[in-house]
Amino acid sequence: MTKSSRRLLGLLIIGALAAAWLYAAIRLWRTSVPDDLKLPRVDVGAIVGASELHRAQHFSLVLDLFGLAGLLLPLVVLALYAKWGHCFMKESAAGPIGTGMMLAMLGIAILWMAMLPSNLGQLWWLRRYGIVKTGYSEMVIGTWFALGSEFLGICLIILIVMGFARLLGNRWWLAGAPVFVAIGLLVTFVQPYMSGLEPLRDHAALVQAEHRIAKREGVAAVPLKVENVGGLTTAPNAEAMGLGPSRRIGLWSTILDGRFSEPELEVVVAHELAHHKHNDLWKGIGWYALFVFPIAYLIARVTRRRGGMAVPLAVPLFLFAWIGLTTATLPIDNAFSRRLEAEADWTALNATNDPQAAKALFVSFVRSTNENPNPPFWDPILFGSHPTEAQRIGMVEAWQAQNGG
Amino acid sequence: MNEHPITLHVMDDLRRSRLTVFFRYLLYIPHGIWLEVWGIAVFVVAVLNWLVALVIGRPAAPFQRFNAAYLRYWTTVYAFLMLVANPFPGFTGEPGSYPVELSVPTTPEKQSRLKTFFRIFLALPTLVVLYVVLIPAMLICYPLLSFSWWAALITGRMPRGFRDLGANAIRYAAQVAGYALLVTGTYPNSSPYVGMALGEPVVAAVPVAPAMEAPPAAAEPTAPEAPEAPSEK
Repeated sequence: MTKSSRRLLGLLIIGALAAAWLYAAIRLWRTSVPDDLKLPRVDVGAIVGASELHRAQHFSLVLDLFGLAGLLLPLVVLALYAKWGHCFMKESAAGPIGTGMMLAMLGIAILWMAMLPSNLGQLWWLRRYGIVKTGYSEMVIGTWFALGSEFLGICLIILIVMGFARLLGNRWWLAGAPVFVAIGLLVTFVQPYMSGLEPLRDHAALVQAEHRIAKREGVAAVPLKVENVGGLTTAPNAEAMGLGPSRRIGLWSTILDGRFSEPELEVVVAHELAHHKHNDLWKGIGWYALFVFPIAYLIARVTRRRGGMAVPLAVPLFLFAWIGLTTATLPIDNAFSRRLEAEADWTALNATNDPQAAKALFVSFVRSTNENPNPPFWDPILFGSHPTEAQRIGMVEAWQAQNGG
Repeated sequence: MNEHPITLHVMDDLRRSRLTVFFRYLLYIPHGIWLEVWGIAVFVVAVLNWLVALVIGRPAAPFQRFNAAYLRYWTTVYAFLMLVANPFPGFTGEPGSYPVELSVPTTPEKQSRLKTFFRIFLALPTLVVLYVVLIPAMLICYPLLSFSWWAALITGRMPRGFRDLGANAIRYAAQVAGYALLVTGTYPNSSPYVGMALGEPVVAAVPVAPAMEAPPAAAEPTAPEAPEAPSEK
């Protein structure tokens, strides 16, 4: 085979892979929300009240500043660690992988210390608005101990990456990326068993409503569970969890504390059930798989200048490249998440046929979370995993325009 | 008189990294998990080894090496956790890799079948002593809320007395484990002078060929402390 035909073959393979990637991305991107749906402009101030709106805007602005610090500070800290982190190699008597693990753990530890003032400031702000109940010392000690599980996670990642790098050299990403996807699958599957979910009691009507909605939507009912978060926060929330037999709907105890009416709770349950109906957790893993391969490849390219991932010297740079690339993909990840959430809202409206309850729910969310219902354009790009409350209310109004009610 | 087949060699220079001291307990976690996993295998091997020793009158050589590696690894992990040594240890228990290291016989010795049969009962009194020795040592040397943790965190050095106390607890625990696992038939000695070699690398305790290299930790430009040296400030 001549050099030019080898090159042509290489280009064809890359082209085919890129086409497959694009096809998969387009398939995952599609939702059942009508493409021609136009969301009306919503005057949130008129709905929630001008003072409530002002309070939410003020709260969200400061929270966004802490959020920006949370995005930028790790990049700065890990960039510095990428440059000087190798100095800590003298603190290890372990082999290459053990030393790599230690460097990765120390990188995360330094990041924790650097982020502490910003995290304490954020906690102060959240406590000021009564969103979080955690104390300052409780937060510091709690996050210090939580570092233990982060250390374990990063050790596992380093073991996989360096283990494959020692076997396959700079092609470690070909074997490493599928392992990361498999771990993602496993974590999603076991999450309901690890979340301390409790049985839902005293809400028989809600369970019956869920069965009714599931039957109407042609899906199997999913067990409703409670996550007891009352000692930590006042924010209401719910989440779809698990895959196959581990599927659950976890309702935070704060959403069941009487602030929300039964029809509003039915909308919440219908929304979470819609996530299971549309296999959104599988789609999330698929989306993650689409990005983990190119990210792993780019990390392998970048760390080559430090001798590749087979040597611990490259570990600090690995951390920086990993966090940097993850941050770079954040806007597209958030956009994908917002599409899935919008689809779940749309399906919930169809399933409950109760736009008033949906609208009341979203207005209650503004009041109970203090989040700005109509934030500046960059806020959803960086932080928005859900549509804004204004968009959600707008979707209700668009649904009403289409279906009446 | 101060010889024991299981001897702890301490080549530590008392310097401590404040960063790793502060996060010492968390840095220990991956080792703790690996130690547990390895410990399960050691338990299975111990039962098999006991049966083998009853039949042939000495432990099986592969089991002896396996248990010896575990004891060496256990020693380095606890030396790290209890601030008896500074560097992050390796995961294999490879000899000559750590400033606080156990010399363990890797060749099985002939042992009395009667003592082997009753080994677990014979080891019971040593377990009592172990707890008497270990609990105070752990209270003093354990990360978080202990004297030595604060001292090392503030000064960047481990007080010599605390270091030696922790080293002695580790030495005695290793001797107890070695006896229970049939690595040696010599009874653990509670004297702090028996089976402890401060400032002596493992290679000095074992007859080796002159061409053999010193362990990397010993080759580091760190000043080992002589056991007779006065306490440091």
